[in-house]
Amino acid sequence: MSLFRLALSNFKRSVREFGMLILSLTVSVCVLFNFQNVIYADSMDVLLEFNKDYIDMIMQAATVVFLVFLFFFIWYATNVFLNQRKKEIGIYIFMGLDNGRIGRMYALESILIGSFSLAAGLFCGIVFSKFFQMLLLKLSEISVDIQFSFSWKPLVVPSVTFAVIYGFMTMKGCYTLKTSSVLNLLSGSRQKEIKPEKKLVTAFRIITGIGILGAGYGFAWHTEGLDALNHALIAVVLVIAGVYLLYSGFIPAILRALTRNKNYLYKRERNLWVNSLAFRIKKNYRTYAMVTVLMICAVTVMAISIAMKQRYEKINYFGQVYSCQVISNESLNGEEIAEGIGQENQVEYWNEVSCLVLSPELLHTPYQEWVYMAAPYSQVKEAAERAGLEFEYKELKDSQVIQLSHEILLSLAGNDWDREVEIGQETYQVIAEDKTPYLGNMQNQATIYIVSDGLYEKLESEAAGGMNYYLYNYRIQDPENLDASKEYLGSLSQTEEEGGKFVGVMYSQSEQKDDSWIRIMYSLCLFMFATLMLACGTIIFMKVSNDVYEDKERYRVLEKLGIPREVLCRSVRKEISFAYYCPFLLMCVTSFFSVHALGNVMQEDLLRVNLWSAAAILGVFTVICLLSVKGAQRRLFMPGK
Amino acid sequence: MNKILEIRNLSKSYGRKGYKTMVLQDISMDIYEGDFIAIMGPSGSGKTTLLNLLSTLDKPDRGEILLEGDNVIKMKNKKLSLIRRDKIGFIFQDYNLLDNMTLQDNIALPLTLNGVSPEKTIQKVQEKAVRFGLEAHLKKYPYQLSGGQKQRAASARALITNPRILFADEPTGALDSRSSRDLLCCLKAANEEGSATILMVTHDVYTASYAKQVYFLRDGQIQCRLNHRGNRKEFYEEIMQMLASMGGEQE
Repeated sequence: MSLFRLALSNFKRSVREFGMLILSLTVSVCVLFNFQNVIYADSMDVLLEFNKDYIDMIMQAATVVFLVFLFFFIWYATNVFLNQRKKEIGIYIFMGLDNGRIGRMYALESILIGSFSLAAGLFCGIVFSKFFQMLLLKLSEISVDIQFSFSWKPLVVPSVTFAVIYGFMTMKGCYTLKTSSVLNLLSGSRQKEIKPEKKLVTAFRIITGIGILGAGYGFAWHTEGLDALNHALIAVVLVIAGVYLLYSGFIPAILRALTRNKNYLYKRERNLWVNSLAFRIKKNYRTYAMVTVLMICAVTVMAISIAMKQRYEKINYFGQVYSCQVISNESLNGEEIAEGIGQENQVEYWNEVSCLVLSPELLHTPYQEWVYMAAPYSQVKEAAERAGLEFEYKELKDSQVIQLSHEILLSLAGNDWDREVEIGQETYQVIAEDKTPYLGNMQNQATIYIVSDGLYEKLESEAAGGMNYYLYNYRIQDPENLDASKEYLGSLSQTEEEGGKFVGVMYSQSEQKDDSWIRIMYSLCLFMFATLMLACGTIIFMKVSNDVYEDKERYRVLEKLGIPREVLCRSVRKEISFAYYCPFLLMCVTSFFSVHALGNVMQEDLLRVNLWSAAAILGVFTVICLLSVKGAQRRLFMPGK
Repeated sequence: MNKILEIRNLSKSYGRKGYKTMVLQDISMDIYEGDFIAIMGPSGSGKTTLLNLLSTLDKPDRGEILLEGDNVIKMKNKKLSLIRRDKIGFIFQDYNLLDNMTLQDNIALPLTLNGVSPEKTIQKVQEKAVRFGLEAHLKKYPYQLSGGQKQRAASARALITNPRILFADEPTGALDSRSSRDLLCCLKAANEEGSATILMVTHDVYTASYAKQVYFLRDGQIQCRLNHRGNRKEFYEEIMQMLASMGGEQE
C-alpha cells in the first residue's frame, strides 16, 4: 500500500473518529469566511449609507480576535489528533517505517483533514452567507434586502490564514514525531506518572497565583476615572496570569490534599474520580486555564454588546422625548405653537421652561466655550409632569441645585460629579446629577442647573451677562410625520440683528443611520459570545474524549473487579463534570470583576447581563457535559466501542 | 467443610455453527472452603476459558456453576457484578493496578466502592499491607514499584473484601523467581492462616507446587488430579512426573 493510500484510508477513519475535531475546524473557517464576506460581498454594499467604513473596521477587528482564537484552537485540536495517533504510529515503526516516512504520512493525513475542513468550511460559509448576513442585520435592526452574491475576495483571508496556521501546526507535529522515541510513541498520550514538584515551587505557584489574581480583581474593581484604561489593561494581564497559576498551583494542591484526606477520599466513588483528577490536572491545567480565559472573554464581550445597546437606546430615547423644541429669547405663546403643530400632527404633550444663561466666568470654570444655564425648580417639575417623566425631588432650598446632564456612549470621566458649584460669590450644594431628559436635547447643548425659584429670581436679577431663554417642548403622536409640521415650525424661526428677537427650532433626530455601526457591533458581540461559548464547550469536549480514550483499559479492569456499572458511570459523570464546571465557576467569579470594570467605564449596571450570560454558558455547558458523559459511557461500557 | 463452588458438566465452544471448536467438555469439580487449587495444562487445553467461566466473566454453552448454591449462569449482569464485587477476588497476570492512585488507594478501592467506612477501610488496608509486606510502599504509585510488589498489591486488593474465592490467572507469569516466591508465600499464608480459597491457573510447575491440589487439563477435559501430601519439593517432583507421563507440551 502506498503512503498516500495508507494516509487516505487513515483519513477516512479519522472522519469517523475525529468528527468533532473536523466539525470544529469547519465551523471556525465558516465563521471566519462570513466575517470577511460582510466586508467584501457586493450584497453588503447596501450598508454603504449606514457608515459601512465603521462596520468594516469592526469586522476586521473581529477577524483579528477570531484569528487569535483560531490559532490556539488549531494548536489544541492538532495536539489532540497527534496524541491519539501516537500509539498507532509507534506500531508503524515496528512494521518497518522510518520516522521520516511516518512524518510524511502524518503530514499527508493532516493535510487531508485540513483541506477537507477548509473546503467544507468555505462551502458552508458560502451556502450560509446570506443567512449570516440576514441574521446580522436582523439582530442589528437594520432592514435592507440582502441578495445572495459570491465574490472571491472573502475567500482569501480564511484560506491563507487557516493554511498558514494549520500548516505550521502540521510541521510542528511532524517534527515531534521525528524526534520522538518509539517508546514514547507506543505509550501514546497516556500519562504514566505524576510528576513530582518541589514544595517550594508549589508554594510559590499557590501564593503568586492567588496574589496575582487578587491584584487583578483589585485593578478591575477600581476602574473609575482617567486611570480606567490603564487599570483595565493591567487587570487583564494579571487575571490571565493569575488564572494560569491558579490551575497550575492552587487547584492541583487542593486536589492533592483531597487525595491525602482518606476520610474524605474513601467515601462513595471519590477514590476513583478525585484520584483521576489529581493525577491528570498537571496535564490538563493549560486547557482549563485557556477555557476559563476564553469564557471570561465571552461574558465580557456579551456585556460590552449589551452595555453598548443600552447606552445607544438611552441616547436615542433622550432625543425622542420631545419631537421638536422651540427656543426663543422672548416669551412666546406655547399654546399657539401647539395649535400650529396640531394642524398636521396631534400633539401628545407639550411644556415650557424658561432658562437663564450663565456666563462661564460666573461659574469660575475653565470651559469658556461651554454653555451653562439655570432653570427654575417649579417649571422643570411641571414640565416633567406634563411629559410623564418622573421627578422625585422635593422643593429645593436656595443653597441647593440639581445638575442636568446627558447620556454618552463611553466615558472615562467616571461617575462622580462635583458636589458643589460656585455661582458668583456663592457656593451651592449639588444634590444630584440627573440624566432624565426633562429639557430634551437642550441638555446635550448645555449644562443646566435646576435651582429653587427664589434663587432663580435672584440670579435673574443679579447675574451679569445672564440672558433669559424660553424653551417650548412638543411631542407629537406620530414622530414619523414630523416633516408635515416642519413648514409651520420653520416659519417661526427668525434671527434678527444683535439684541433683537431670536427664535430657533430643534427637531428630534430619528435614529441615525450613521450610528448603525453600534448596532452591528452589538450583533457581532452577541455572535462572538455564542462562538466563544461553543468553542469553550468544544475544547472541553475534545479534552474529555481524549481522556476517555486513555481510560478504556482502566474501566475494563474495574468492571472485571466487579465494580457495578452504575458506580463507574457516576464516577465518570463526576470527573467529566469537574472539567466543565470548575472553569465555569472560576469564570463566574472573574467575570464579576471584569463586567464590573466594564460597567464602570460604560456607566451601566451590568450585573444582570453578567448573570444572564453566565446562565447561558451554564446551559450550553450542561448540554455539552451531558453529551460528553453519554459519549464517554457509551465508549467505555458498550462492547465494540 | 463448606462447598464454595460446584461445577457440573461444563462445556464451552467457540466459533460459528459448523466451525465450532470445543474448548471445554463436561468439566465437573467441587471446590471447598480453604482449598488452594492450581490448574495446569498445555496451550489450548482450556485453562483460561475455565477460569473465565468460573469467575463469571464468560458464560458456558452447557452445564452449571453453583457459587454457594446459587447458579451464576442464570444470573443477570447486575447480579453478576455484585457477586464479583462481594464474593470473588481476582489476580491478573499484568497486575491491573490503577496507575492514577497510590498503592493504598488501589488496595482500598473495593472497600470504598462497597460503602465501608473510611476508618475501617484504612485499618483493613493496613492489615493487608502488613500481610503482603507492603507497609513501606503504601504512599507510592504503581509506576514506582517492582513487578513483585505490584502483584502483591494486586493480591492484597483481591483479598481485602474477604472474597469467598480468589481466582488467579498466571499470577507469577510476569515475575522473576524471587518475586514469584514472595508472592506465593503470601498467597499460601492467606490460604492457611486466613483460610482464603484460591484457584489459580498456571503453566509454571514451581508455582503449582504451592497449591494443595493440581488439576491437569487436556483437550478441554480434566485428565487427572494430584494432591499435595508431603513437602513442597516432593510435590514439585510429582507434578513434573505427571506432566512427563502426560507427554503434553507445556505452555
